[in-house]
Amino acid sequence: MTLLKKMGKVREISSLFFLIFLFGLVGLMNSDFLTPTSLFNCFNDSVVFTLLAVGIAFVILTGEIDVSIGATLGLSAAVSSTILRDGGSAVVAVLAAVLVGCLVGLFNGFGIAKLGIPSLIFTLGTNGLVRGLVYVYTGGAWVENLPAGFTRLANVKLVGELTTFYAMALLLVIAAHLILTKTRRGKYFITVGDNPAGATMVGIPTMQTKIMAYVLCGLFASVAGILYSSRIGFITPTAGNGYEMKAIAACVLGGVSLSGGLGSLIGASIGAVIMSSISRILVFLGFSSDYDNTITGILLIVIVVVDAVAQNRAAVKTRHARLASRSGPLEEESGNRRAAS
Amino acid sequence: MKQSLFGRLGQKAKSWEFVLLLILILEFIIFGAKNPKFLLPNVLLGSVNDIISICIISLFVTFVMITGGIDIQVASIVGLTSIVVGVTWQDFGVNIWVACVIAIIAAALCGAISGFFVAYCGVQPMVVTLGGSFLYSGIALLISKLSATQSYKGISGFPEGFTQIASFKLFGVIPSQLLIFAGLTVIAYLLLHRSKYGRKVFLIGINPRAAEYSGLNSRLIILSTYVLSAISAAIAGIVLTSYLGTAKSDIGMTFTLPIITAVVLGGTLSTGGKGSVIGTALAALVIGILRFGLPLCFKINTQYLDIPVGLLLLIVITGRALSANPKVIKVMAGKFPRFSGLKS
Repeated sequence: MTLLKKMGKVREISSLFFLIFLFGLVGLMNSDFLTPTSLFNCFNDSVVFTLLAVGIAFVILTGEIDVSIGATLGLSAAVSSTILRDGGSAVVAVLAAVLVGCLVGLFNGFGIAKLGIPSLIFTLGTNGLVRGLVYVYTGGAWVENLPAGFTRLANVKLVGELTTFYAMALLLVIAAHLILTKTRRGKYFITVGDNPAGATMVGIPTMQTKIMAYVLCGLFASVAGILYSSRIGFITPTAGNGYEMKAIAACVLGGVSLSGGLGSLIGASIGAVIMSSISRILVFLGFSSDYDNTITGILLIVIVVVDAVAQNRAAVKTRHARLASRSGPLEEESGNRRAAS
Repeated sequence: MKQSLFGRLGQKAKSWEFVLLLILILEFIIFGAKNPKFLLPNVLLGSVNDIISICIISLFVTFVMITGGIDIQVASIVGLTSIVVGVTWQDFGVNIWVACVIAIIAAALCGAISGFFVAYCGVQPMVVTLGGSFLYSGIALLISKLSATQSYKGISGFPEGFTQIASFKLFGVIPSQLLIFAGLTVIAYLLLHRSKYGRKVFLIGINPRAAEYSGLNSRLIILSTYVLSAISAAIAGIVLTSYLGTAKSDIGMTFTLPIITAVVLGGTLSTGGKGSVIGTALAALVIGILRFGLPLCFKINTQYLDIPVGLLLLIVITGRALSANPKVIKVMAGKFPRFSGLKS
């Protein structure tokens, strides 16, 4: 029982169990799914979404939202791959992409934390702006003919079936997770999201933390952009369109609460794997991938509704327990009865 | 008498709707001066086709945002409606008008499902409608597979009566879409600003707890706002299908951002409790005219149009945030004694 309770509290564990359950279920119906190649491909293919989801998780944990990461991914992908195509060095390409991501993040963070503009609206504006810049930068044309060495990178395997890209992303996620949970400054993120007023009162630099969250989000989106261009091999001006919604969905699937202060980066990365595995799973189950969006939508709604109902119930329960312990023995009984019902 | 008139004008000048109206007039002057063709009734009124869906839907998304929610699933409902009309008409042999009614009912049901989860289960509106946008666009795709027509081609060849919805012109000039938009604006205005229902919607946005304690069935009202926005999306979907002459499952997928932009630009607070139908209608027109005028008069590639719209949104919200900032008000009041912050 206590183990179960603890599981409910550590939210990423329940999404991990969900992932294992999902894979197990699909494996029962089609054993081909449980081969190492196929399983690793689920993880390898999720690399772009993993980075996006973890990046946006920083922002969501502080209680804000960022719908401009799809455009940020597109712009940094376009910038880095144009440099590579024109024979520039890899270092310059990576630095330029990262710079783009950080600048967009800084811009968002400034508008939201300093000017106090609602984040959804501000990043909506940024999204339009950055997406437009992608068109201006590329002239509306595709960026093609990337160097073969660059596109080959996406298929380099580190150990067994694990690609270097996913290993890299995994390392990044773990490092970010440790910073977020073990260091003083890292803990600020969740604190700010959990209780903004309280965080300000105890002297946490709320504004700085939020700006930092957006910069990190932009940074992760730009790294995702580089990996995206290597994996896909060409960049359309609409690259990454709608990815912001998928990244948010991945966070929700991974147990990150959109009201802030609840969830973890590990959870977000698990959510990204669930999210991007759905179309592959459908193929293994013999369905057409046309069901992709339908299943994603159902999954998302079911998970958040169950979560919300459970949370509401828990809140009511604790309130009753508190009221019961405060009042005399007579009321306590009635309080217990109410809590039990 | 004269002074009171000026006083009233002064008050009006501070209202956000007035600023929007000025921006709209400014757009007309600039575009008209640059390219006189812009002001030709046929050209100007012909532009309505491209913007009407966003105008119609944003009117009713305003309701949702006033209650403190948000609706990002409307764009997928546009496609769902279109394909439902097409498939029920072509493949199930239903009369086209009955097909439209079925589509509207289906859309209302979609809105009701999402609204139920928001209002009765306490899930965040953003998440539910995000899930809804995946779900309904997915269902739309599945429905399109029911048809004998390949889904990428779209279902076409609608009867004349149906295509008349978009091509009919009153007195030979005023397109019917403009009439639909005007009619819906009036309905939305009466509903939100002149009815008990509207007062309840505002109260829920301002203080949900007070609304609940004063005996309002606030959950039902929140649910109803999602149904309204879904129905408006259905109407937009039907009009758009009629205009394009083809039913496809993915039309309208790019509408989400312009719709939210129009609502916010119209002065609706995303935290709820404040907003107006007139503001939204004007803002939707400002965006629509901007998107139409820039390519026509300044030869700006249509692909770049996200930049001015995004910039407009950023400038407006930054300006409004600054004008509400006490420090800025103090500085400005020193320079312009009559300035006291923009009241929207």
